[in-house]
Amino acid sequence: MRKLQLLLLALPGLAAGAASAQVADGSDTMRVGDMQYGNALDPRGWTPMMAGIQDGLLSNGMSWLHAGMKRTPTGVPYPYPPQADDGTPVAPGSDWTYRGLLQLGYIHLNGDRNAEFFRQYSDWKNGLALGYLGLMFDNRRTGEYVEFRASRLSADDQYYRLRAGKYGSYRIEAFYRDMPHTVSTNAFPIWNGIGSSNLTLPASLTPGASTPAQIAAASAAAPRRSIGLTRTRSGLSLEGELYRGWIGTAAISNEERKGTRLWGGPMFFAFNDLQGGINETVRPVDFSTTDVNLSLRKVGRVWHFVGTYTGSFFRNHKDYLDYQSPFQLQNVVGVPQVANIYQGEFSLEPDNDYHNLRLDLSRELKGNGQFSVAAAWGTMRQNAALRPPVTCTGVLGVDMAPIGGPNYTLPCADWNTPAALSQRNANARIDTGLFDARVNFHPSSSFGWHAGLRWYREDNKTRYLAYNPQTGQYGYISENGSQGSIVPGEVGIFDPRNPLYWSSNVTVRNVPYGYDDTLFELGGDWQFGRRNSLGVAYTFDHNEPKYRERKRVDEHRIKISWMSRSFGDATLRASYEYARRRGGPYNYDPYVQFFSESLPGFVDPVNGLPAHTVADMRKYDLSDRNESKARLIVTYPFGDATTVSATFYGSRDQYATPIGRQDTRSTGATLQWDWQPGARTTASAYLGIETSHMGIANVGDSDGGAAGAALGTPGQTNPNLGGPLYPYGNQWWEFDRERNSNAGFTLTHDFGSVRADLSYNYSGSFGHVGYSYATIGALAYRAPDAATAAGNAFPDNKYRSNTLDLGFNFDFTRRFGMRLFGRRETGSFTDWHYLGFDQTLSYGQRIYTDKGPQHHYGVTMLGALFNVKL
Amino acid sequence: MIRPLSLAALVMLASCAAAQDAPAPAASAAAKPVAMLDVRAQPPVHGDANAGAAKAAVCGACHGPQGVAIAPNFPNLAGQSATYLYLQLKAFKDGQRKDSIMTGQAATLSDQDMRNLAAHFAALPAKPAGKPDAASRGAQLFLAGDPAKGVPPCQGCHGPAGQGPASPWSGAPDTAWHTFPRLAGQSALYVGQELGDYRHGKRVGVSNGRIMEGVAQHLDDEDIQALAAYIQSL
Repeated sequence: MRKLQLLLLALPGLAAGAASAQVADGSDTMRVGDMQYGNALDPRGWTPMMAGIQDGLLSNGMSWLHAGMKRTPTGVPYPYPPQADDGTPVAPGSDWTYRGLLQLGYIHLNGDRNAEFFRQYSDWKNGLALGYLGLMFDNRRTGEYVEFRASRLSADDQYYRLRAGKYGSYRIEAFYRDMPHTVSTNAFPIWNGIGSSNLTLPASLTPGASTPAQIAAASAAAPRRSIGLTRTRSGLSLEGELYRGWIGTAAISNEERKGTRLWGGPMFFAFNDLQGGINETVRPVDFSTTDVNLSLRKVGRVWHFVGTYTGSFFRNHKDYLDYQSPFQLQNVVGVPQVANIYQGEFSLEPDNDYHNLRLDLSRELKGNGQFSVAAAWGTMRQNAALRPPVTCTGVLGVDMAPIGGPNYTLPCADWNTPAALSQRNANARIDTGLFDARVNFHPSSSFGWHAGLRWYREDNKTRYLAYNPQTGQYGYISENGSQGSIVPGEVGIFDPRNPLYWSSNVTVRNVPYGYDDTLFELGGDWQFGRRNSLGVAYTFDHNEPKYRERKRVDEHRIKISWMSRSFGDATLRASYEYARRRGGPYNYDPYVQFFSESLPGFVDPVNGLPAHTVADMRKYDLSDRNESKARLIVTYPFGDATTVSATFYGSRDQYATPIGRQDTRSTGATLQWDWQPGARTTASAYLGIETSHMGIANVGDSDGGAAGAALGTPGQTNPNLGGPLYPYGNQWWEFDRERNSNAGFTLTHDFGSVRADLSYNYSGSFGHVGYSYATIGALAYRAPDAATAAGNAFPDNKYRSNTLDLGFNFDFTRRFGMRLFGRRETGSFTDWHYLGFDQTLSYGQRIYTDKGPQHHYGVTMLGALFNVKL
Repeated sequence: MIRPLSLAALVMLASCAAAQDAPAPAASAAAKPVAMLDVRAQPPVHGDANAGAAKAAVCGACHGPQGVAIAPNFPNLAGQSATYLYLQLKAFKDGQRKDSIMTGQAATLSDQDMRNLAAHFAALPAKPAGKPDAASRGAQLFLAGDPAKGVPPCQGCHGPAGQGPASPWSGAPDTAWHTFPRLAGQSALYVGQELGDYRHGKRVGVSNGRIMEGVAQHLDDEDIQALAAYIQSL
C-alpha cells in the first residue's frame, strides 16, 4: 500500500516530464497483469470493437499502395484490418473524439453446465451478462487518448482496464480482473471447515476411532462441492520520459488467489495388512503476490542502456493445514496401541520475497556489428516462523514391552513446540547472478556471425540442521508420528546416546541444491543467392551442479538451419540439431553429509547401512545423453487468397544407463489451411497430431520376495544391479505412450447487415502406461492372483472434447444491433485413477474426496446480447 | 508526390482551358457516380509508339511537339511513364477525372489509341535536368519529408531525382510502381496547382489519388510552393 502511494505521488511529475518528450517510444516494457484482456465469451477481448470491414474501396487489399494482401516473409497472409471508426467529436470544434460499444444481454445454459471441463476457466451462469463495454477517447491533434474496456460474466469472472496517455510521450494503465480456475465440480469432502486451515470431522465420525463403514456412510452423505480458486488481479503502471531521453517505468500489480485445492493427508500407508490411513483432504488457498517493476532506459548516441528492478512478494495468509483423520492406527507387531495419532498438519507455502537488479548495455560496432552485455543479481529469501515437527499430545510410537521388545515411544511434548527446532525461523536464501555478453557482425549482406558467452549462478545459502535442543536428538518426525506408531522405531529420529536410535539413518540437513552454468555460442548465417540461406550454430554448455551425483555436465550442441524459396512459391524452413551430453564421474550417493550417518555417534547397523540407491541408476538430468531434433515447415501460397502450411517435427533422446530413463521420442505434424478471399470472408482449418513415447527402466530393492532376501541382511550394503539388494529379477520397465490430436475449423462472413461466424474445435488425447517385469520379485504384491491381475498395462486414459460455436451479429441501425450466439460442447473422459469413484470414495483405510470429471457431458449455451454503439 | 501525368492529363485539361478547378463529381447532372479507377493491380502498359505519333499532333498544341509543354500551366509528357499516361487518358475518358478539354479529347480515343499515345510520349526524350538547390526547403521535403508534420519524402515513390520509381513490378500484391509519374522538370505552376487539387480532395477518382490526398493534407501553402520550385529545378 505504501509503495502504491509513492507511485501515485510520483505520477504528476512523471507526466509533466513526459509532456515535453520528443522521443517516441511505444514499447510495452511495463507489462503488468495480463498480456491480453479477454474472457471465455471473447478470448481476444476486443472482437466486438472489430466489427465491420473496410469500405469497398479497400476490399481489394488494405493499402492504396498495392492490391491484395501482403504476406509475411514466410508466406502467411496478413489479416484484413478492421474498419476504422473516425469517432464522434466530444463537443463541436473539439479535437477530442470518442467511440464506444456497450454489449449487454442474457446467457442461458442447458445440460451439464457444471461439468468440470466446461467450467475450468470460466464462470458461466444463467442470467444477465455485460458482454463488453468499450470506450475510447482520442485527440488526433495532440496524440492523447483514454481507453476503457470491461466485461462481466459474474462476480468471479470479470475485468476492467483503463489506459490513458499520449503517443510517444507517456502512458498510464490501471486494471482489475477476476478469473476463476475450477479444479473439480464433483468433490465430496467429509470434513467441516473446507477452505479454512482446520478440517474437522463431522459428528458422525470419531477422530482416530471410526470404522470404515462409518467413514463410507459419512462420505455418501457429504454434500457435493466445487474445488477451485479465483484469481483477483489489480495493477497500476506508468511509463514516460523523465529527462532528455531517459524513459522511466514503474508498475505494481497484486494478485489474490483465494479458494481450495485437493490435498493429501497421510497417516502412514494403508494397504495390504498395514493399518494406517489415507485421507484426500482439501487445503485452503489464500495467497497474495505483489509484483513491482521499475526501469530506466536511454537510447544514447553510442550506448543503449536499460536498468531494471523486479521485485515479487508472496504472502500466504493460511500457512498451515490441520486435519483430523478418522482412521484408527494399528501397529504391525500387534501390541496394544499406545499412541493413537489422529491429527495431521501440513506446513503450507511460506511468505517469501524476490529481488532482481539487471543492467543491459548495447552499442553498435564498426563493421556492421553490435555488442551487448547484461549483468543481473537476484535474491530469493524467506524467513517464516517454522512450525513444530508434530502437533500430537501424549505419546507417539510403539511400546513392544508386552512382547519383550523395546519401548519405541516418545513424548509428544518434546516435539510439539517450536523449542524442538534448532532455529525458530527458516532463514532461507538463494542468490542468483547473471552475466551475458554477445557480439554479432554482418560484414556483408550475405554473411553474418555471432558469438555469446553466458554465465549464471544459483547459490543456495539455506542451511538447516534438524536438531532438537530439548532432547539432543536429530531428525524430523514424519507424518506427525503415525509412521513410528505403526512400524516400531521408524519415528524419523537419530539419537547418538540411545541404542534404539543410534543406527537410524535419517535426513538431518537440507540439501542446498544450486549450480553454475556457462554457455558459449558461436554461429554464422550465409545467404546463397536470393532464395536460400543457411545457419549453423554451435553451443557448449558447461554445468557444475552442487551436491549432485556429478560435479560437471557438459553438452555440445550443433544446429543447422536452412531456409529456401527455391521450390516454386513455397517457403521451406528446415532445421536439425544434434546434442551430446557427457560429464564427470557419477557418484550415486553424494548425500552422506545430509544424513545422520555423517554425525558423531552414529553406529552402523549390524548388517551395515542399506545402499542409498542402486549404483547403476543415472538420473535423467545428469545422464549421458544423445539428442536429435528435426523440424520442417512448408508454407505454400495458392494465389492471393489461400495459404497452406504444414509442419513435421520429431525428437529422439537416448540415455546411456541400465537403470533410469531410457529414451524419449516425439513425432508430430500439423496442417493448416487459410482462406481469405476478401475482407468479408475468412476461413481456416487446422489439423494436428503428436505422439510421444518414454521408456524407463527400474529395479525394486529386495524385501524378501521371490527374487531375493537381502533387505535386513549383510547384502543390503551392496548397491550394484545384480547384487543381493538389487537382483536382476527385480527389474521392471515402463513404457509410456501418448497421442494428442486436435482439429479446428472457422468461417466468418459479412453479409452486410448480418455477420456470421462459425467455429468447430476438437481436442483429444490418449495415454497408455505399459510395463513389464523380470520376475514377480519386482511386484509389491506377489500373491499369484495379484501377479495375474497385474497384466502389462494400466487401463488407457482418454479425453475428448468437441465444441461448435455459431454466432450472428445483426445491425438494425448504425447504432443498434444484436449478437445471437450458441455453443454446443460435448466431452468424454476416462482416467483409471478415478475408476470406481462413481460408486464409492471409501476403500477400507482410505477415503477420497474427488470423483473426477464426468465420463460424458454435453452443454448447450445460448446468448443474446444487445449492442449499442456509443 | 505529385502526379505529373495525372498532371499530364490535367495538362491537357489545363492546356486548352486554363485549369479547371472543376467542380467535382456533384456537378454533372443526375449522372450515375463513376466507380473509382483502381490501378493497384495495373500491369505495365505497352503500345505502338509510331502509331501514337501519328495521332499526337493535336496533343502537341499544348504539350509541345516533342512532349515539352509550351506553357507552364501544361505538364510535360516527354519521358513520362507510359502506364501513367495511359491511365490518365482512360480516367478522362471514363469520367474519373474531368476537364473541359481533356474529357473531350479522350472521349474519341480507343483503348489502343490511348496505349499508343502513351507509348509515343513515353519514348520521347525528357526535358534536360536542371540545377536543384539541395539546401532548399523543397529539397528537404522531397528527399526527407517532414516527419513532425506527417509528410513522407516524395522520392520514396517518385525516385531520388524525381525521374520516377525504378523498382520493378513483380505482380500482386506488389506496389504498381509504374503507375507513379515522373516529376522532374514539371513547371512549378503546374505542380503547385496539382498539389492543391490533391490537398482539397479533387483528384480521388483514381486510387493513386487517395495516396496523394493523404500526403498533401499535411502540406501548407509554403510547403507546396517550395516543393513545386524544387521539382521544376530537377
